[in-house]
Amino acid sequence: MRARDGIHFVRGPSPFGPGFFDLPEDTVTTDAGAASRVRGMQDLLPAEMDRVRSVEAAFAGACRAWGYREVRTPVIEPLHLFTAAGTLSPKTLDSVYSFLDWDGWSGERVVLRPDSTIPVARLYAEHYAPGDTARLFYRQNVFRFTDDGSSREEWQCGVELVGDTGPAGDVEIVLLAREIVTKLGLGTPAIRVSHAGMVRTVLAAASLDAVEQSAAYDRLLDGDITVVDEIESRLPSLNAPLRLLFDVEGAGGQYLANVRAALLSAIPALATPLDELGFVVEALEAAGVAPIVQAVLARSFEYYSGLVFKIHADGERIVSGGRYDGLLELIGGTRVPASGFALYVTPTSRLLASAPANGVTRTVDVAPTARTADTIAAAHTLAQELRAHGLSVRLTNADASTEPLVLCEPSRGMRLRLGGRERPVESTTELLAALERAP
Amino acid sequence: MIRLALPTGPLRRDTAAFLDAAGCGINEYSAGSRALRFEMPGGAGFARVFREKDIPAQVALGNYDLGICSSHWVEELAQRFPQFGVLSLSDLGYGRSSLWLATRDHAAEESVRIASEYPNLADAVARRARLPRYRIYPVWGAADAYPPEDADLALVAAVDGSTIERDGLTPVAEVLRGSAILIGNRASLASRDLSPLLERILRAGSAALRAELRAPSLSLRTVERPRQARLRLALPDGHAQSHTFAVLQAAGIAIDGYDDELAVRRPRIAFDGVDVKVIRPQDMPQQVAIGNFDVAITGRDWLFDHLVQFPSSPVEEVLDLRRSRYGLAAIVKDVPADSVAGALAYWQRTRPGKPVRIASEYPNIADHFARERHAGRYSVIPIAGASEGFVPDDAEILIEGIDTGSSVRANKLTVLERFFESTNCLIANKRRPEGPLRAVYDGFVERLHAAVQEPVAAGGS
Repeated sequence: MRARDGIHFVRGPSPFGPGFFDLPEDTVTTDAGAASRVRGMQDLLPAEMDRVRSVEAAFAGACRAWGYREVRTPVIEPLHLFTAAGTLSPKTLDSVYSFLDWDGWSGERVVLRPDSTIPVARLYAEHYAPGDTARLFYRQNVFRFTDDGSSREEWQCGVELVGDTGPAGDVEIVLLAREIVTKLGLGTPAIRVSHAGMVRTVLAAASLDAVEQSAAYDRLLDGDITVVDEIESRLPSLNAPLRLLFDVEGAGGQYLANVRAALLSAIPALATPLDELGFVVEALEAAGVAPIVQAVLARSFEYYSGLVFKIHADGERIVSGGRYDGLLELIGGTRVPASGFALYVTPTSRLLASAPANGVTRTVDVAPTARTADTIAAAHTLAQELRAHGLSVRLTNADASTEPLVLCEPSRGMRLRLGGRERPVESTTELLAALERAP
Repeated sequence: MIRLALPTGPLRRDTAAFLDAAGCGINEYSAGSRALRFEMPGGAGFARVFREKDIPAQVALGNYDLGICSSHWVEELAQRFPQFGVLSLSDLGYGRSSLWLATRDHAAEESVRIASEYPNLADAVARRARLPRYRIYPVWGAADAYPPEDADLALVAAVDGSTIERDGLTPVAEVLRGSAILIGNRASLASRDLSPLLERILRAGSAALRAELRAPSLSLRTVERPRQARLRLALPDGHAQSHTFAVLQAAGIAIDGYDDELAVRRPRIAFDGVDVKVIRPQDMPQQVAIGNFDVAITGRDWLFDHLVQFPSSPVEEVLDLRRSRYGLAAIVKDVPADSVAGALAYWQRTRPGKPVRIASEYPNIADHFARERHAGRYSVIPIAGASEGFVPDDAEILIEGIDTGSSVRANKLTVLERFFESTNCLIANKRRPEGPLRAVYDGFVERLHAAVQEPVAAGGS
């Protein structure tokens, strides 16, 4: 048995049902025995929850300031939203939680949403007039099965900008994401940008079919750079190494100019993605952002059609997003361009040093000195008055309290215990003033 | 003490021959004994006979150290539970077959319907084929009978493509190759000495390579399949067949190709306006709910199992046909209790913190039963048959159909509670057929209704 973050991995049989045969030797459980959570699911304790709420508050505040409105989509969606070709890769679909609903006798499955962009695209198709510009944000969880010990539930704060906003929309979402990260005090974020069309164009130019393209792309994502040599061998007209594109992280517009000069004559179709990416890079540089250009960025999401970007802080990926102009049409709606991003709440919250307890800055304990009805009622009345002044007030026993503590008894009035000393307080006004002065 | 799971059914004869040749044969198993448990020669351990489909789960659970079954069933479970604790150890060189996607007309509805006994593999195949929209019909058998009216594709096991063509289907893609294999529980392999048996079997077999599921390239015309203006009736095969034939006989309805022993998939019935297809009774409620069939003759047990899974399903019992009578019961062995509550309390004392394992061919009823009886932490183990041997070693409770109780007594089992009475019945969609079909429906129901008013002859129940 080995401990990790207060969790113990104990050898034993696994429960039946979904996940029944997952690691039958090791069942994640706690010392609470049967009262343990499902493997891959996380509890958030108060301190962590405070950090999560801080992230969400910074995110929502920035979104509202930029004119975005909050939405929420159902946890359960039809599976076919995600199986349409070009939405999620087969590998990602292999890890979704799908099942037959209580009325699923037709055999069509539903799914715990493995992604939020597709449900928000569905929401748009269902509730908005095609072409309307919608600035939407959400704070919700997604579910994907993992077998590497990582969480199977992930909380995301996401933004979707739906409508024909063009490259200006791409610039907007990158700058919004950057502002949120900066507001959270996470230092200077590293912003990486790419264009989904760059890799696709090169792989198509090498005459790889859809399955081969997918396999080559997966190898690139896994860092297997040898695949570049194989692609090169299929492009005899190349007079510059493809590694310039796949093995170099470029510094903004200057790098793009080099790529253009080296590869465009052999692969003319690269002009469109390079132009589109060049516009965004130029605008970001003008806004004081120095993006890093990288050819391969998106993982497991096939719906990206243009800009793809990621933001790292302290080496941790905390934002990813991009343009997905074809998604609405793929899921049965009218073609409407769109772009968006997701901020990963858990890794972001862990980068925060601390956070105020649910936004409350001052707390005080109130203790009735006797277990009589009028004493308890008086304590509640006092607590209500203090809360009306913005304090967080707990009703406790005097023995189990932390300072500052107000002892409350109708016959003797109030006494304030602070700094190890206790003194009478005549009125609520005097008490508030004393609490204000307290360290 | 080695625990070995062996197959009954089609693989049994070849498995017995293989074990004999490997020098670890079990005489009773080879002789076709009806017993479910055999001691291995030399006191090496014991073997238990299962339906092939159940063997990967039993080995994964650690109830058995080693097992022999078709690799298809291992892959079926691995698709749903990628980390299940089973290692494929050896290709035993017999029982070779492939899983094929097959069609009748190379056409499909917009949401492609796939019938299969391998629903997890069918789901994976649909994803790999990048089907934008699909429905999987998990069936207990006869998947080849579904296309084209009741499914667009069937995923079926066959030795080769010509076998499928003999069933009237056209193979469109071979998606997985397989054979009989030896599998082992990972924990057992890590901690128990299985070498006396392992060595002999491995020497006789060859290295087991896990076959890759191939991504099929499908080219299907998208069609809308119009309903024929005929009443569609599903009749059961298997044990329920003789009772159904008796009902039709009593109603004076002649049927060609379906009697108390033999059935073709599409028999001809002497009732104007009715088409018949023979499928498994377990699959009928869902097929009627979907609208593939207007009426079906099945057991009330299977209707109940369907309705507890899908409470708002539009299927209902129209007529009790009063035959094929048996009860569903909670059965245990060697438990000092005479009620379910008493047994649950006993296991809480003797197996604290462990789930109560409930084995059943009726997984939804078993789940419903456990919830209704406040079973606490429990797990349902779906099984395909050979059920009497599950308690007490491989499950605490067996939810099983019982008739006279002779099998229960013979196996020294105890019935804790008989909680459901089943007979065969006519089921239909709550939305009755309309137009000219309604008269055909009413006429058919009336004929059966008149027949069941007569006393059921001895031996008919």
